[in-house]
Amino acid sequence: MIKRDYKGPIENSIEMAIEKIVNLLQYDYYLSPRSIAILLLQEDEGIRNLVKEKDAAGFSEIEQIVNNLKTYYKNPISYELAIERQNEVNDILKKAVRFAKDSISFRERLSRLLMNPVLGIPVFLLVSYFGLYKFVGQFGAGTVVDFIETNIFDKYITPFAENMVARFIPWQFLHELFIGEYGLITMAFRYAFAIILPITAFFFLFFSLIEDSGYLPRIAMLIDRTFKKIGLSGRAVIPMVLGFGCATMATMVTRILPTKRERIIATLLLALAVPCSAQLGVIMALLQHNPMALFIWAGVIGFIFLLVGYLTSKILPGDRPSFYMEIPPLRMPSLSNVIVKTYVRVKWYFKEIMPIFLWAGVLIWLGRLAKIFDFLVDILKGPLRAIGLPAEAAKAFLFGFFRRDYGAAGLYDLSAHGKLDGVQLVVSCVALTLFLPCIAQFLMNIKERGWKIGIGISVFVLFFSFSVAYVLNIVLKTLGVIL
Amino acid sequence: MSVKKIAIVGNPNVGKSVLFNALTKQYVVVSNYPGTTVEVSRGKMNLDGAEYEVIDTPGMYSLYSITEEERVTRDILIKERPEIIIHVVDAKNLERMLLLTLQLIEADLEVILVLNIMDEAVKEGVSIDVGLLEKELRIPVVPAISTAGKGIDNLKKKISEYDKKRL
Repeated sequence: MIKRDYKGPIENSIEMAIEKIVNLLQYDYYLSPRSIAILLLQEDEGIRNLVKEKDAAGFSEIEQIVNNLKTYYKNPISYELAIERQNEVNDILKKAVRFAKDSISFRERLSRLLMNPVLGIPVFLLVSYFGLYKFVGQFGAGTVVDFIETNIFDKYITPFAENMVARFIPWQFLHELFIGEYGLITMAFRYAFAIILPITAFFFLFFSLIEDSGYLPRIAMLIDRTFKKIGLSGRAVIPMVLGFGCATMATMVTRILPTKRERIIATLLLALAVPCSAQLGVIMALLQHNPMALFIWAGVIGFIFLLVGYLTSKILPGDRPSFYMEIPPLRMPSLSNVIVKTYVRVKWYFKEIMPIFLWAGVLIWLGRLAKIFDFLVDILKGPLRAIGLPAEAAKAFLFGFFRRDYGAAGLYDLSAHGKLDGVQLVVSCVALTLFLPCIAQFLMNIKERGWKIGIGISVFVLFFSFSVAYVLNIVLKTLGVIL
Repeated sequence: MSVKKIAIVGNPNVGKSVLFNALTKQYVVVSNYPGTTVEVSRGKMNLDGAEYEVIDTPGMYSLYSITEEERVTRDILIKERPEIIIHVVDAKNLERMLLLTLQLIEADLEVILVLNIMDEAVKEGVSIDVGLLEKELRIPVVPAISTAGKGIDNLKKKISEYDKKRL
């Protein structure tokens, strides 16, 4: 059972705050003053405006009470109240309702199986494999993306844009802002529509299916215990699963986590140890003929995920998360609901992500104009040599940060030309996975967590990824592992 | 004499509209709530010579409103001040549904709780002590299967009792 974490003096309790607000309310709201007071404590916007209008005299004092109360509670007041009410309901039901024990339906049995730690995990792995890897990864991010890129962008849009820019913009340096390898139209737009749009559409389709069937909250229950150890609750399974689609989007979705502490931990883990679909694609391509290397890579990443989560949860102040989630019944999802949900989410995501893509495009343009990139590639060569990789990999790493397929192709080229041996391959894959996936996520970290934490996380990830790769390289070499 | 208002509230998909149709049979008006795309149905009901306006409100999980539907329902309550609130719940799922009941009681509204979809609840092995529930909540509780018209007469009886008590 969840305990309220407030144990201070009674003057600061929710009950006292309600009483104080009730005394300040004069107008007859139809809903009882107590009920209005509780809605005010939950910061209900509509009621707040209503009281501001009807009880103008006492309003500022009420606001003060509400804001003051918040400082005594770790969780939002609405959460505290919801838990208290649920306890009250459970008490009543315990007396008045009996559930037959012997009539366990098939649905209930399936539901228990899905949440059973021994049987549930293989099911979870199977669903992830077919849903995420096969459906979203191979079909959505592979087949469909290829089709849109080659048949729509390469054939029609890119030539059209190049033609228009050449005709209407006389200055050469401005051309590169719009077209060419990193142009706004040829890269930012193409990225958004030809790559991100199909991937997110397939991902959200999968996500809506596991959500509407009631499977998602069961995954959350299944891994709640493990997640508690790393300072997260089962609820964080949602951004974490989303992270395998697109970590930028997942970072945005950390908003659903109830406390700031959980959001920081989730953002850090997403930036560090959750490979997005683009990264997964590259890594699978690089390691597919080398199962042992793939195994080492997965082991290292899994270990880092748990270790960093565990350490952060020890270091960051604040209480351990409590978990409170309804488990809806399992049912067949309705197709029309799933499609509408997918559509709404893709639309929402697009509205949020498009400006970030455009900003990234402008930044790259400026960076290239000012020759900052050549400089950064030079800087990167040192650390790469230290982790046992050839200097040529620097370009792949840096440009991969801006343009995923470029980084991938870079590494792929190196490996195809035999410039990377098995150990180097694993080391570079680990470094690439831990390294910030892309500039959009970097900007999202800042947008969601603020300057200080956003940049802090990114700098940490940068150093940490190279340190791990460095250690891994030495360990593999010392053990004489040949892959 | 002004017409008394009755609002039917509850989560989505608990059978509010079926119950509404069973109570009102005639003079139903469906319109968008002003400034929204949310539909609200209103109908008339005669009971022991008294006339009531019954409002079928959009689905709501909590008085603390998040969705547009919830805002509309709360607006209806606050602006139209119905005399009686009928809270319809899915009897299979009381654990989730009674949260709103408690909020409505806390708001000092005249609430009648309708335990709908009783047939499925019985099938799933849920047995509810209605008398004890009434005592715990201190409001009238009516078990019903609105799709089969069961419990409607009992509900009407409770409505007139409520009214007489208030006079």
